[in-house]
Amino acid sequence: MGQFKAFAIKYGFLIVMAASFIGFGLAEPAFWSWSNMFSILLGITIVGILAIGVTFTLIVDGFDLSIGSTAAISVMISSYVMVVLNMHYLVAIAVAIALGFLIGLTNGLLIVKAKIPDLLATLGMMFLIQGLQLIPSAGMSIGTGMMMSDGTEAEGEFARQFLYLGQGRLFGLIPIPVIAFALLAVIAYFILQYTKWGRILYAIGGNEKAVKLAGVNVERYKIAAYVISGTVASIGGVLLAARIGRGDVTSGGGLLLDAVAAALIGYAVMGLKKPNALGSVVGVIFIGMLLNGLTMLSLPYYTQDFIKGLVLVAALIFTFGLSKAEL
Amino acid sequence: MAKQPLIRAVGIGKSFGVTRALDDVSFDFYDSEIFSIVGANGAGKSTFIKVLCGYYADYEGEIYIDDQPVHFKSPRDAYEAGIQVVHQSIEQGIVQNMNVAENLALEHVLSPEASFLYHEKAIENAAVEIARKMGIDYLDMRQNIQDITQSEKQMITIARALATQPKLLILDEPTSSISDREAERLFDILFKLRDEGVSILYISHYLQEIKRISNRVGVIRDGRYAGILHQPLEVPEIVKAMVGDLAVQEIGTQQHDGERQLLLELDDLIIEGSETPLNLEVYSGEIVGILGLIGAGKTELAETLFGIRRPLSGTVRINGEAVAFNTIRDAIDHGIHMVPENRTVNAIIPEQSIKNNITLPFLDFFSRKAVLQRSREKEGADTMIDNMGIKCEGHAALIESLSGGNQQKVVVARWLSMPHNIVILDEPFQGVDIKSRKDINVYLRESTRESAVVMISSDIDELMDVTDRIVVMNKGAILGEFSTSEADRDELLSLITQE
Repeated sequence: MGQFKAFAIKYGFLIVMAASFIGFGLAEPAFWSWSNMFSILLGITIVGILAIGVTFTLIVDGFDLSIGSTAAISVMISSYVMVVLNMHYLVAIAVAIALGFLIGLTNGLLIVKAKIPDLLATLGMMFLIQGLQLIPSAGMSIGTGMMMSDGTEAEGEFARQFLYLGQGRLFGLIPIPVIAFALLAVIAYFILQYTKWGRILYAIGGNEKAVKLAGVNVERYKIAAYVISGTVASIGGVLLAARIGRGDVTSGGGLLLDAVAAALIGYAVMGLKKPNALGSVVGVIFIGMLLNGLTMLSLPYYTQDFIKGLVLVAALIFTFGLSKAEL
Repeated sequence: MAKQPLIRAVGIGKSFGVTRALDDVSFDFYDSEIFSIVGANGAGKSTFIKVLCGYYADYEGEIYIDDQPVHFKSPRDAYEAGIQVVHQSIEQGIVQNMNVAENLALEHVLSPEASFLYHEKAIENAAVEIARKMGIDYLDMRQNIQDITQSEKQMITIARALATQPKLLILDEPTSSISDREAERLFDILFKLRDEGVSILYISHYLQEIKRISNRVGVIRDGRYAGILHQPLEVPEIVKAMVGDLAVQEIGTQQHDGERQLLLELDDLIIEGSETPLNLEVYSGEIVGILGLIGAGKTELAETLFGIRRPLSGTVRINGEAVAFNTIRDAIDHGIHMVPENRTVNAIIPEQSIKNNITLPFLDFFSRKAVLQRSREKEGADTMIDNMGIKCEGHAALIESLSGGNQQKVVVARWLSMPHNIVILDEPFQGVDIKSRKDINVYLRESTRESAVVMISSDIDELMDVTDRIVVMNKGAILGEFSTSEADRDELLSLITQE
């Protein structure tokens, strides 16, 4: 009985995932096509990238609520640099990522130096950048040929190479954002699993004081976690801008909740009971697959959030409720 | 002895998976007596108590109450059968945002029969009633619970337990977080309760206490019943019963082969909160004890040496070189290692393996270009597990799977695993059983050759056990230095307590 439970806790989530993969395919063979596989993956990349970032803050027992709006401001600023300022697309990417880095650094400093609780600091930051992103374009979305406030037309445009980052496919099959997502996932997994940095980040999440007394500069690691989260979110934003091809003021909506949900679902993967890169990736893929499959079986779109919530609650029960240690 | 036992536990057994934690243990509890249970950490004491409190529904054996067999399925069953327990952690028994009266009359406040309207007066009356029985009615009933002392909180939890008129009152390590003077008051109350007919089951690591207050002592060894000891009790006899003949391994004394090197030198060092300059020399191969009560400045001194605090003035020299540490890492780089007090708060990384807990400060050593070299790490951890006799299922086992004493060994192993000049141990034996304490001491002695140990404690006996020299601190000043072999216990006691 105990062994079965241990097995269920470790592999239960993956088994459910495999079962639904098989189930959807049997019910609707088109589900198993390569093009559908990549369409699922493409659909989840941005959320997935954000989930990877927020995993780092969860590991140090923190939280970053500002990832969604960081991605959104990164959409706006990269569009602004290209379209309004008519600058090179590489500059646009650099500015957006630098901004993400700065936001993360500010979060880190607010939490570590000003000692503001993580939820509150990043909530404030979320609010702040949500407002900030509207200012340069006076609240309007930014697109090629948009009308400026002085009546002239914007001179710049989305560079073809920039759009390729969001819309291109390798070998005409694998979307570029999926490759970027996979790359980031592998890097994050490697750092967390195989380096001393990962070990220390997890240790900080377990007992910050003990890590400090082991001679580690805990503050620096915690700030780094928020910098990673911010920077990764801005990479997600750049890819999102490249995919939609305009600076949409509403583009950040829903990203935060979906990314956090995926990271939390990830706790259940392999019964780890803690934030982990593999879990976050699996969590986000699971949600994407589920929504895709259910949509194919003509589930109305307005039930999607409900399904996501259901999966999250189930995963949390699985993680915390079932694997409760005996007294 | 024709007296009938109030409660009998007969043939109690309990397994966790393949581990047999408790096997066929039987004890009887009589009214008007203090019965203690002793055993090394991991021997099964806490499992036995938890069975008595109804934590496990699936234990073997039978509990008889007034000769009626009962089987506890939940803590509620034990509670209703008249078994009350006061847990080790005082905070567990206290509701933080309630006042003294509400905490005392918690039963009353939470009772389903109580009116849903809040009757402040009724609660206070109930509380005063309960407090009077325990002789703590001098407490201000409206005081915030955070504003009273640890021992007063503990009195409240005991008073509340007694208010239910239990057949058996279990006290689990009640003196672990209160001062000696507070402990004396606790004993007075226990004696009074005993004389009034209450049956008390007392659990403690402090064998001196056990010796003093128990009428009988039950021994558990490796999960089995290992006898009952009667008055008059002697500590060595209790130890022998607890750990068998294993414990007679002698802790060596200082080896005088080779040159003694001056490793650490304090030169007119003034630490925070003090005005008295401290002078001290520590040589290689020796174990120096620093003895003093809470507030004597021991911890401040340790923290100054470990780079947590800055000295106000004066010099610290290591190997003859004056040093000033800005960070803990500086201290570590100069070969100062420190095992902090209170391992759960300051040292243990929960939900991590023994290996990860041991290697934590030295990950640079165990990695190449930031990538961990796991085989080297495992080797390092295995060596320390071996050296210190850490009882575990290998380096990958989670730290929580170990008994308290073995967890402490891991924490000590962390700092002894790498070469150092000085290792400071701050109250290393709090909540550590006698067997683990001995293991740690034996290894400390063996491994102290080129390095030295500074052991900080408020317990004279702990220091007498292993040190070569004892330095007495009181109110931030060093009052004296004694060679341990010539030191007189009473003199040390009067020095640390003098006003």
